[in-house]
Amino acid sequence: MDNNRILNVANLVAGYEIKKGFVKAVDNVSFTLNKGEFLGIAGESGCGKSTLAYGLMKLLKDNALIKSGIINFNGNDIQSYSNEKMNQIRWVDMSMVFQSAMNALNPVLTIGEQLTDAIFAHTNDSKEKAKGRALEVLKLVDISADRFDSYPHQLSGGMKQRVMIAMGLILKPDLIIMDEPTTALDVVVQRTIIEKIQDLRKEFNFSVIFITHDLSLLVEISDKLAIMYAGKIVEYGKASDVFLHSLHPYTKGLMNSFPSLTGPIKRMGGIEGKPPDLLNPPEGCRFAPRCEKAMEICFKEYPKTYVKSDKHWVDCHLYNKEGNVNG
Amino acid sequence: MLGDVFKLFIENKKAALGLCILLFFVTVAILAPVIAPYDPKVNKIETIEILDTDRGRNKTVEREKIDEFNERRVYTQEVETTYEKNTKKFPLNSPPSSDHFFGTSHAGQDLFSQVVWGTRITLLVGLVTGLFTTVLSLTLALLSGYFGGIVDDIISLFTNVFLVIPSLPLMIVIAAYITVKGVFPIVLILALTSWPWPTRLLRSQVVSLKNRDFIKVSRSLGEKHSYIIFREMFPNMISLVMASFFQSTMGAIMGEATLEFIGLGNVSIVSWGTVLYWAQTNGALLSGAWWWFLPPGICIALIGTSFALMNFAIDEISNPKLRKR
Amino acid sequence: MGENILEIKNINKHFPIKSFRGYGQYVHAMDDVSFSLKKGEVLSIVGESGSGKTTTANVIAGLYEPTSGEVYFEGSLVPRKMHRKKELDYRKKVQMIFQDPFSSLNPTHTIFSILERPFKIHKLASGKKNLRNEISKLLETVGLEPAEQYIDKFPHELSGGQRQRVNIARTFSVNPELILADEPTSMLDVSIRMSIMNMMLDYRDEKGISYIYITHDLAGARYMADRIAVMYAGMLMEIGTAEDVINSTFHPYTKLLKSAAPSPEEGLNRPKLTTKGDIPSLINPPGGCRFHPRCPYYKDECSKEIPGMKEVSKGHFARCIL
Repeated sequence: MDNNRILNVANLVAGYEIKKGFVKAVDNVSFTLNKGEFLGIAGESGCGKSTLAYGLMKLLKDNALIKSGIINFNGNDIQSYSNEKMNQIRWVDMSMVFQSAMNALNPVLTIGEQLTDAIFAHTNDSKEKAKGRALEVLKLVDISADRFDSYPHQLSGGMKQRVMIAMGLILKPDLIIMDEPTTALDVVVQRTIIEKIQDLRKEFNFSVIFITHDLSLLVEISDKLAIMYAGKIVEYGKASDVFLHSLHPYTKGLMNSFPSLTGPIKRMGGIEGKPPDLLNPPEGCRFAPRCEKAMEICFKEYPKTYVKSDKHWVDCHLYNKEGNVNG
Repeated sequence: MLGDVFKLFIENKKAALGLCILLFFVTVAILAPVIAPYDPKVNKIETIEILDTDRGRNKTVEREKIDEFNERRVYTQEVETTYEKNTKKFPLNSPPSSDHFFGTSHAGQDLFSQVVWGTRITLLVGLVTGLFTTVLSLTLALLSGYFGGIVDDIISLFTNVFLVIPSLPLMIVIAAYITVKGVFPIVLILALTSWPWPTRLLRSQVVSLKNRDFIKVSRSLGEKHSYIIFREMFPNMISLVMASFFQSTMGAIMGEATLEFIGLGNVSIVSWGTVLYWAQTNGALLSGAWWWFLPPGICIALIGTSFALMNFAIDEISNPKLRKR
Repeated sequence: MGENILEIKNINKHFPIKSFRGYGQYVHAMDDVSFSLKKGEVLSIVGESGSGKTTTANVIAGLYEPTSGEVYFEGSLVPRKMHRKKELDYRKKVQMIFQDPFSSLNPTHTIFSILERPFKIHKLASGKKNLRNEISKLLETVGLEPAEQYIDKFPHELSGGQRQRVNIARTFSVNPELILADEPTSMLDVSIRMSIMNMMLDYRDEKGISYIYITHDLAGARYMADRIAVMYAGMLMEIGTAEDVINSTFHPYTKLLKSAAPSPEEGLNRPKLTTKGDIPSLINPPGGCRFHPRCPYYKDECSKEIPGMKEVSKGHFARCIL
């Protein structure tokens, strides 16, 4: 087992029990993450990325659950951990920054109280020590100490999101999962927060799983990139590889959906159609109905994984074992 | 769209139960003349049996009167009918029996008949008041919420003033001055005291709907105000209007019972409230005549439950998060 | 392209604050906004939240009355209060597409009854069968075919992209001259955005419609627009052709936007942002140039007086003293 490896997810299946059956939002997903690495997970609505994020933290509730698979974190198989055991890990070893800070922050508590609450929940620190840690982490995210006693509604959207990041950092975890942390923010604020995250990563060397639909952003900031579609990871590799040498037609389609600020202005394609119903996913490759290059076999059989090089793989019938392009 | 909403409503267990209870009482009210064994106000049954005339008991009697002044005789003829009168007085203050399912009152009136006939007045007052209040508050809410400006300011002022006045004392004061007989004054009193709350509620919804994009789109297409209010906004308010209607109706039923109970309503009509009034003034509670006050009380509770259930169902339907998967 | 189809001059829009604490104060949503639009042109207004771009669209669409300033449409002044006939005419020619595809559709109406309204209001068609035909054709124009599959559905039965197509179909149905599109794709999935944007461009090519395309995404503006206007805190900061604004960027704020926008080609080693600070409050905006508290080129005179729009090169203006 690689000492550098912090997370190993194998054949994870998770989703929602509804009257009509089980919706597999995460269907047989596998990937790995090393220490200090930044993994970006890109996908559109309904691809299962949020379910994956919550599933890794074992935060799925009500009718959402993990059906099978292995989540190996820091050498431990946490998929079988009870809630009490997970509480010891959560926030201390792995934490999460939620989408929409407006909904994640308690409006009737000051941000100082919420930060120290997180500390009290997981450690036996004294009040002074907790406050000290909270102030420290607020400084890290560029929020002045006099905001310690502010209520969430007194802060701007960007500041609230930075408080969320502070909360994610406060117990110095090894892994932070961020679920669309900058989606609701203006582009300048988004850039400041991304820069802040990079700075903090350099200082503390934690790993990040960053989930968003904004592929152009991910390409810039990720080490590794995973493209999710309809509950499966269809392509995975180094960000530069996936961007410059995209293999999967969906990845290519996505890359072709972002107009750029540089280079010639030409008509871009986008992708027609919409994602499949995850309650009864189609047989074979799930992207086949929308794929320009779909062949007969694509509708019948799910593609085997083709590994292009160390760390760059894709699930697509266009490539056979030797890397020759089919069809 | 309405058809779908109705179907959803019926399928919901709570709504179905609530609706059944309500329909049960409506049926009782409609069929009161058939169901009630006796007139609610009588305390005896008189049967008259005319005796056999053949035996000469029915006779014509001739009387002679001498009018001395006019020097003549005046004859009058009268027919006398002989009959037997059987008076069966109802037992006074008696517990339920096979003749009187709910027993009898202090004056011997059949309580079952009273409750059955009372259903009519109670439901009538409740539903009419509920309807009137809902229509009034909806109209005011739409006008003030949609047009805003000075119309809104005036209507809101009145609403807020009336809202602050406590309704029970207001009811008592108005009732004390009304001398007109009958049920209508009660409806009036109840409507006058219950319109502010739903008006405020509905107005808030109108204001929030007005800011929804599809209303802005309608305006930008050049849609007329009347179309926007009635065809665009109103369908989105149906669940709140229905809930408001149920609440108003229930409030009116309780209000009527309260007014009657404290003697301010018209105590000569028969409603559940008046039954409770007479029960209370005749010390039924103290004398342990549970059959007097329990049935009307249970009926009021049942109707309240039925409206509450239907209200829950409407909440569940309009807020999908509350529905059970 | 030729004459101006739209011209707005010195528009101010101040919203009075009605709460107890803020009474007597105003939100300065728009201040001294002026620009023109030629027939068949696409102008993109780019800005962050609070920039006033949505308010501008609402004023042009006639949903808000400007506090002061004039709007000229097709050469003539648009009066504040129009009587019904003139109002209908204006509303037929100037249409708006909103950002949220779901809240733009009445959830209690079918697609058919939503789309028949423009026909009925502007008396463009009548008769149930006729209307159904027209609406079906319209749905097919925006890529919703077969129309039968969509025409009797309710909004919640359609996906986000499909709903936005219905919205666009609605705007197209009255054959407008000017379409105001307020971030029409920002709530849609990434892969769908392109087809919606392309559809709008195709329609422009076919019918010669003019667009005002509002967005926060500079790259999207570059793709769609002939000219770009950059707004900040209620004021216009820079305006010019798309190439000028993006390649010969003049105003410091536009430079900030450019450096903040994601650009995968530039890779990981991008220079950091040099500007801190947040968007100012619109209730008490900074005196003088509204960007001065955050501007790396700040000089004393920037906080004293609001700079006028200066012509930097032909057709390229910026509100900056540099």
